[in-house]
Amino acid sequence: MEAQALQFFIACVTAAGFGIAIAAFGCGIGQGIGLRSAVEGIARNPESSGKVTVTLLIGLAMIESLCIYALVVALILIYAHPQAGAIAGLFAHGG
Amino acid sequence: MAKVALHRKAARVDMQQRILYFVTRTNWVLFCLVSLLGLWLAPPKFAFGIICGGLLVTVNFHLLAKTLKNALTPPHLSSHNVVIAKYYLRFMISGVILLLLIKYHVVNPLGLFIGLSVVVASIMLATARELKILFCKEAV
Repeated sequence: MEAQALQFFIACVTAAGFGIAIAAFGCGIGQGIGLRSAVEGIARNPESSGKVTVTLLIGLAMIESLCIYALVVALILIYAHPQAGAIAGLFAHGG
Repeated sequence: MAKVALHRKAARVDMQQRILYFVTRTNWVLFCLVSLLGLWLAPPKFAFGIICGGLLVTVNFHLLAKTLKNALTPPHLSSHNVVIAKYYLRFMISGVILLLLIKYHVVNPLGLFIGLSVVVASIMLATARELKILFCKEAV
């Protein structure tokens, strides 16, 4: 039973790690592309900086919220999934 | 012809400012609404999750707006090192707060999730509103 619980915990931690890594990778690429385009646009036409900044702000907020969601899911997988209490109890009982 | 182009440009600028104003205002309105609903209908941990998530993401949005405005609006541009440092600091503080909230079971994760969706929901509402305005204009 403890071996199974340990395996489950390892699977959760691995999923959390890979999940946040993939999310950070995707969000980083998305934010980089958006920021590059915005800076290029402002460099070509400095008068449009206000408009570009507003659009960039909304885009970055959307992308960043995706990364925050992934972080929350990863943290839930490690600390707050439904079986976390039972597994902690098992290990405490075993130790 | 030039007059029409100028009018279209002004309308576009107006639309950008209108979206920003709507999103910043709707953030706080949605946050208050969802928090009150949570306090009224949900258990305390769930409501606290909604409040913490909503507050975190709304403050984050306003700080991001301030940083971007300082970084990209001439003539007083701030150094890119400052912008990057502020960005990472903000993100790290958000991460640590979320970690503490979830690790010590201070909040219900589902409530936190709902709270964190406040900004996304307000952006979606702004998009729907702009689409509605666009289609209404075309219909007329």
